Amino acid sequence: MRSRTRAAWLFLLPALVFYAVFLIFPVVSSLYLSFHEWNMLTPPLQASSVGMQNYTHILRQDPVFLKALWNTLVFVAVSVPLSIALAVLMATLMSRRRFAGLWRLIFLLPTITPAIALGMVWRYLYRPNYGLINTLLNAAGIASQPWLNDPATALMSIIITAVWAGIGSNLIVVDAGMRDIPEEYYEAAAIDGAHGWQRFRHITLPLLKPTLLFVFVTGTIAAWQVFDFIVAMTAPTLGRAGGPVNSTMTLVVYMYQTAFEYLNMGRASAMAYVLFFIVIAVSLVQLRVFWRGGVENY
Amino acid sequence: MRRWLSILLALLIFAAVVIPVVSAEEKTKLVMSIHTDFNREGLDDYIALYERLHPEIEIIKEVTPFEDYLKKIQIDAVSGRVSDIYHVYSLWGVELVRSGILDRPPAEIQEDVRKNYVPVAVNGATVDGQIWGIPTEIDNYCLVYNKRLLKEGGFSEPPKTWDELVDMAKKLTKFDSKGNIRQYGFTFLAGWDSAVVHPFLAMLWSNGGEYLSPDFKKALFNSPEGVQALEAQLRLFREKGTDVNGSVWDFPNGNIAMMIMAPWDENNLKTTMEDRYADVGVAPIPVMKKPATALYTWFAGVGRASRHTKEAWDFLKWMTAQVYGPNQTTRMGDYLVQSVGAMPSRKIDLENHPKELNDQYTACFVRELKNSVAEPNVAQGAEIKTILMNEIMSAWYGKKDAKSALDSAAAQINTILARYYK
Repeated sequence: MRSRTRAAWLFLLPALVFYAVFLIFPVVSSLYLSFHEWNMLTPPLQASSVGMQNYTHILRQDPVFLKALWNTLVFVAVSVPLSIALAVLMATLMSRRRFAGLWRLIFLLPTITPAIALGMVWRYLYRPNYGLINTLLNAAGIASQPWLNDPATALMSIIITAVWAGIGSNLIVVDAGMRDIPEEYYEAAAIDGAHGWQRFRHITLPLLKPTLLFVFVTGTIAAWQVFDFIVAMTAPTLGRAGGPVNSTMTLVVYMYQTAFEYLNMGRASAMAYVLFFIVIAVSLVQLRVFWRGGVENY
Repeated sequence: MRRWLSILLALLIFAAVVIPVVSAEEKTKLVMSIHTDFNREGLDDYIALYERLHPEIEIIKEVTPFEDYLKKIQIDAVSGRVSDIYHVYSLWGVELVRSGILDRPPAEIQEDVRKNYVPVAVNGATVDGQIWGIPTEIDNYCLVYNKRLLKEGGFSEPPKTWDELVDMAKKLTKFDSKGNIRQYGFTFLAGWDSAVVHPFLAMLWSNGGEYLSPDFKKALFNSPEGVQALEAQLRLFREKGTDVNGSVWDFPNGNIAMMIMAPWDENNLKTTMEDRYADVGVAPIPVMKKPATALYTWFAGVGRASRHTKEAWDFLKWMTAQVYGPNQTTRMGDYLVQSVGAMPSRKIDLENHPKELNDQYTACFVRELKNSVAEPNVAQGAEIKTILMNEIMSAWYGKKDAKSALDSAAAQINTILARYYK
């Protein structure tokens, strides 16, 4: 038994070492750094201790951090439910129709395309002068919109792109969840005279709850960390992302800029921990809300 | 047979391990870090020439895009893989010096810098009163205009005062039937911090204001002079002489009458405008109270952790300070004016490149050196500049008035300055 245990540990060792070096060590290091001031130009052990100053600074004295927090919250609150609602709608419309596989593929294409490439294309589509969207609006007699160039519309423009790009992955999961629901339930409901909306409301939605929980939690965690679309769409270069006037600044983009543009790794680490606790808290709330009332089995 | 094979194998292993070590010891390798815009045609020729003259030296060039260049220096420092030579944007100097990244130049180089370079460039290479490198490129700003568009608008000369610029921009701006601007009278550069902040600083200084206090303990740009300077910019938006949607790329397309640009834009304009480049005119930035423009600098330094500091400084001396040839210029001077399209900072290079520095584009920038004020080498300079950029732009977008935007920037910047200048 002892030799089998040893063998198991030996087999696990490479993965554990990898996990320790590339996950545990950075996580612990960044916790240490979040209480220090370090610019990455000196050895980390020479970093000077600043106690809670990084945390108090970002939460009390840094308006850009609070703006980034708000923007990220808006991004999460709008993009995640919208993307999932559209995925459910599409899956319902496609369900039991011809060419469903083809439609799934079409919707999945943006998901399998790198976000940076999508963002670059959308940036050109959104260009105030000569952009395709404004050209079409002008052709329809509507004045050009500033899209990404105006703080009032920039974040929403990015959310539109992110939702469009995110539907595909949600659609695949939701569609798989829908196809798992036994056909007999719908047949029985039809015999009882239930129409389409009633069947959706009383059969599809309750039985889809575990699937929706999964896409909500994973989608929310990913949305809190939005980075690639912001960079690709708001800046010719990484360091200038988040504009105009911080209107699209998100937590992870600001964290990156704080660390690598402003040379303040300690403050960026503190931001990372604030984000970590927010994501944990939101995920726990989501789990609690979804599990309330139980989950339908079939 | 097996014995002979074993001996042969042992010899091969010995050769594989020892020969590269021996050949590596023959040459001193100098790693030179530069950013992409500095890596133009001709640099490799100078490196090859130096290697021919000094067969014991091999120079390895590491080129990084400007936006990632500081990150490269950071990551090199953390990984212990430092470069021997750095080309440094002066604004980063404070962090690099205080973190011990740069080597102090030998006394004769410091003396040469003090004596032979223009004062603004010497200041750019100076941190906490000490010279840390050899100045290379200097960049200031002028008003670049499209002569054809001005002529079509009935103007024979560029504006001399900011009030004139606003009036001209208003008349030169054209709209389509949907209300979109199709020709800009004036466009502000935007998209990165210097593009927004440097022209504002030029106007602030022109209006008699100051950026930061001399001891760097306080932001001073929110003075009445600063507020007036930003108000002057806002007049352009209010009076429809510009909007926020203009792009620098519209200038080569012939859709912008006037912009504020730097010397290094010359090559881009020549390439993109081709025959229409003849339409390009350059004039001093229109004044508010007195002539002034903003300037920033670069310098070449040596890594303190380099194992070959002497060889690195020798190469830099040869490249940047040694005057040679019938024209009596330096190699760096030749390279900057001929390949990079930037202004050199050594006095003799400014005097002895008449053809390149008195051309249609660059002459005005050279003349304006006397009115140029360098951005200061302040700790957290990049963060400070980004804060100011965002607040200026919030005024452009009408989210704040000039005073509250500058007050907000000053409050944030003072918090940063308080941490570094006690």
